[in-house]
Amino acid sequence: MLSKNSYIFRWAAAIFIGLFSVVSCRQSGKKEEPAAAGVSTDSAYAKTRLRYAHGFSIEYYDHFKLAKVLNRLTGSTDTLEYLLVQEGYPVPAGYPKAQVIHIPVKTIVGMSSMHIALADFVGVADRITGLGSLDYISSPEIRKKVKAGKITQVGLDGNMNNEQLISMHPGVLIAMGNPDAGFGRYKTLTDAGIPVLLNTEWLETTPLGRAEWVKLMAALVNKEEVVNKKFDSIARVYNELAQLCSKTTDRPGVIIGMPFKGNWYTPAGGSYMGQFLRDAGAGYKWADSKGTGSLTLNFEAVVPEALQAAYWLNVGYVDSKKDIADKDVRYVSFRSFKTDKVYNNNLRTNEQGSNDYWESGGVNPQLVLADMIRILHPDLLPDHQLVYYKQLK
Amino acid sequence: MMNNPLPLLRTIGLEAGYGRGRKKVSPVPGPLDLALHAGQLVCLLGPNGSGKSTLLRTLAGLQPALKGSIEITGAGAGKLKPAQLARKISLVLTDPVRYSNLEVWSLVALGRYPYTGWMGKLSDADKAIVAWAIGATGIEALLNRKIATLSDGESQKVMLARALAQDTPLMMLDEPTAHLDLPSRIQLMQLLHQLVKRTNKGVLISTHELDLALQVADEVWLLQAGGQLSKGAPEDLVLNGIFETVFDKEGILFDKTTGTFNMHQGSGKKITLTGEGAPVFWTKRALMRQGFTVAPPSSPLNEQQPTADHVRISEKDGRTIWVLEQDGKTGQYDSVESLLDALK
Amino acid sequence: MEATQLSPSAGIIQYATDKRKKALILAGLCLLLLIVFLLDIIIGSVRIPLREVFKVIFSHTENDTWRYIVEKIRIPKAATAVLAGCGLSVGGLQMQTLFRNPLADPSVLGVTAGASLGVAMIMLAGGSIATLYTIKELGISGSWLIIVAACMGAAAIMLLVMSISGTIKDNVMMLIIGIMIGTITLSVISIWQYFSSPELIKDYLLWTFGSLDGVTGSQLYLLMLAVAIGLIISFLSSKLLDALLLGENYARSMGLTAKRARIIIICSTSLLAGSITAFCGPIGFIGIAVPHIVRSLFNTSNHRILIPGCCLIGTILMLLCDMIAQLPGSQTVLPINIITALVGAPVVIWVVLHRNTISRQ
Repeated sequence: MLSKNSYIFRWAAAIFIGLFSVVSCRQSGKKEEPAAAGVSTDSAYAKTRLRYAHGFSIEYYDHFKLAKVLNRLTGSTDTLEYLLVQEGYPVPAGYPKAQVIHIPVKTIVGMSSMHIALADFVGVADRITGLGSLDYISSPEIRKKVKAGKITQVGLDGNMNNEQLISMHPGVLIAMGNPDAGFGRYKTLTDAGIPVLLNTEWLETTPLGRAEWVKLMAALVNKEEVVNKKFDSIARVYNELAQLCSKTTDRPGVIIGMPFKGNWYTPAGGSYMGQFLRDAGAGYKWADSKGTGSLTLNFEAVVPEALQAAYWLNVGYVDSKKDIADKDVRYVSFRSFKTDKVYNNNLRTNEQGSNDYWESGGVNPQLVLADMIRILHPDLLPDHQLVYYKQLK
Repeated sequence: MMNNPLPLLRTIGLEAGYGRGRKKVSPVPGPLDLALHAGQLVCLLGPNGSGKSTLLRTLAGLQPALKGSIEITGAGAGKLKPAQLARKISLVLTDPVRYSNLEVWSLVALGRYPYTGWMGKLSDADKAIVAWAIGATGIEALLNRKIATLSDGESQKVMLARALAQDTPLMMLDEPTAHLDLPSRIQLMQLLHQLVKRTNKGVLISTHELDLALQVADEVWLLQAGGQLSKGAPEDLVLNGIFETVFDKEGILFDKTTGTFNMHQGSGKKITLTGEGAPVFWTKRALMRQGFTVAPPSSPLNEQQPTADHVRISEKDGRTIWVLEQDGKTGQYDSVESLLDALK
Repeated sequence: MEATQLSPSAGIIQYATDKRKKALILAGLCLLLLIVFLLDIIIGSVRIPLREVFKVIFSHTENDTWRYIVEKIRIPKAATAVLAGCGLSVGGLQMQTLFRNPLADPSVLGVTAGASLGVAMIMLAGGSIATLYTIKELGISGSWLIIVAACMGAAAIMLLVMSISGTIKDNVMMLIIGIMIGTITLSVISIWQYFSSPELIKDYLLWTFGSLDGVTGSQLYLLMLAVAIGLIISFLSSKLLDALLLGENYARSMGLTAKRARIIIICSTSLLAGSITAFCGPIGFIGIAVPHIVRSLFNTSNHRILIPGCCLIGTILMLLCDMIAQLPGSQTVLPINIITALVGAPVVIWVVLHRNTISRQ
């Protein structure tokens, strides 16, 4: 009697245990799901919503996210799709053209200072294992790693050491992209299974839009919650500052940049810098010009404004008024030069010559704006200490 | 005969060539001892490849001698600076000058280069010499033309005028008659001959122009392939048979008697010829062209073949008549052509 | 010597009328030069009334902006155009005569490439900005840095070319060697470009487009000095150059020392081309085109006339190109190199065709 019963009992137990395991696994999988994706259904910051950036978008699904990056480089707008698939889950079908990035990524290779800044903002700078060039780095953490030999130089866009990259096999390669080459140049890497994420943050025409790309980096490592909160507070500060400026009627004249050989490249009204100037309450002569890049102007065309503009910003690789005079003795007649109102964005430059304006400045537009307002409207922010700018003497 | 004063040009043990060390090429190994005096026109003759150009260029100071020395009016050429040498030797070369786009007047005036100052301004004396050079070569009509628009003959005269304007005791010309048509060639050689007589310059011409050279040269330097040089009066070189040996090639004979090259050897049927003057000479030529061997009647040839055909040339009423005696028959002809037809 | 019955007097008379004709042409060109110079100062991106321009030059004006523009931008630019036009044309003329080649221009010696080498070394191979800061310690800074580098590069190549020229007997060989040295230099620059970042390449590229702007104050005086010395040496070499037209053999037979002549000509051309490239960047085409125009217009090969002629026509042409580059009224300005090529090439074609028809008559 016992043997018959124990046989059945054993079988039933086996089945029961098996079922229980499966159910509990599924349950635990369910439980893990929200944690892995950083999505808690009740958090307002769980999923990324974009307010300023136009160059990318993220859609959320079970176990994966679909990121789309607008490839506006070749003139025609085509979209690059990336499947951000959670670890342990299969790649969803139905996206034949998408590249697959297994998240959270553990190792990152970046190409520019901005990529370092993005990673730093999200708190994953330690995951960087390779950089295009080791020359211009401001982040102390990264520089330490470089000194310790933990970061490999892989070569810049167009000159990348494919073999090295393939042997490193990073979780993702963040590239800047180049209009000439199109995406085909990365074929060797994508064929080898290294996803290449195209970052076109430098095409954004607003400072907040550019900074918002931190959300794409956050999606790669499942840190949306924290990053979204952080970004929102930055955006709030920025907008408050801009509001502050819009209330004043004072619009001091500003000239930007350093001419070279008779050519003066000055930002167009629709450009990133143009937006900064607008938000900082500057009286920029070319604020209404079309275009999102720079205007190529004749030195002579800019001179009437240059002679009487109150301020001169972003003067390039100079450190003093003497440097400016050495470049061309005619600059000493500018009003901004005569009244000591020349400010350069190279205050945070380290001994190697890396200017942090191009790194952390990209993800802290509110600090840059505060600097600019402090310069152009000293009475509005009297207590603000300049972070990126310094007055040239 | 006047005592020969100091020669304008003298070489001692000269070897002409180019290259150095193992790459040395010496078409004129010499050693040559040459002398050219004032009032002398010397022609440097020789077959192609004998090294005429190399020798001339060396004498002119355009390239250094491999061995030996050159003296110009007694002074060692090596010690003379180019500016000094320019007052002693002027050249007419085969170098192309068309590209220069110079007008004839400017080109001739360039001959005064060694004498004008810093800026090349011509003094009145300079202008007079230029005018003389233009007159001597007869190129007055060409003065404002560009050198590129002139014919070969005209441009050679211009280059000669330039050399004359340089007013040097010595003149050297390298193939001055190349590319010229026959009348121009004769004119040029005549001109040179007259100039030497008039100006007492010493002139050295390197040329292929055997006929004309033999007529105008006071002395001939005959250069053989291999570098052996014979010099002397042209007639002596001919009569000595040296000319024949130098130019002897298969099937070509230099005829001492006429001073010409005969293309055709008489190798065929024998024929005798009597007569006087120019018709004899030309009839003989015609017969030789047809392949006959021509001999005068009194030659030993006749005795062996008393039945050889005979042509007698005579004059009647101012016109030439050819009488052909052939196989006992006689025929009379009034032109070389009809004579030759009959002989066929 | 026989006093031949000649009428070279007829030739001399004809020559004299030609001389008068040439003098007239010269005078006309001087007038044209004045007009074009003034036009260049009047035309620009900013509209300044004619009267105001004259006020700035001859008397006094209240408007500081206009005074600044005319005095500090337009006049120095026009002066630079004058110097560049003279220097490059005469340099080109000398090169065409020395090498007896109608396509020669001042860059055949590789001197312009040498200047580019010096500049590229600073801009591209200078590496990180830190190196630039260190170079500044030497006291050379700002725009002088590029100028000094260009001069040193040009001088280095010039010395190289001269040392080779000592061993070369034949001018054609010289020409080939000069061109090859130029090619090697440019290849080295290409290597540096390959390894540089886009910003550096863009800066260097901008330099290679050439610009008459930015030569002011002491720089302008220095350029004036260099070009003046170069022109004086060239003019004094007129006789030499005339003789060289007949080729080296004839020249030697007239007393010319070939080596010395070559060195003088190379020196003066290098000084002209090198200094202009150092201050303005490489400017092409003026050197090739202008000598042909001058030879055609004055119908002579006499360098005593050709050299001043080149100065005049080179200047006029350069000022014209500068005016066109201004794109009158617009806010942008085109690089001068593009304009000199677009203007120069058709002119050369016209001249060559025109000459062809004449010589066929």
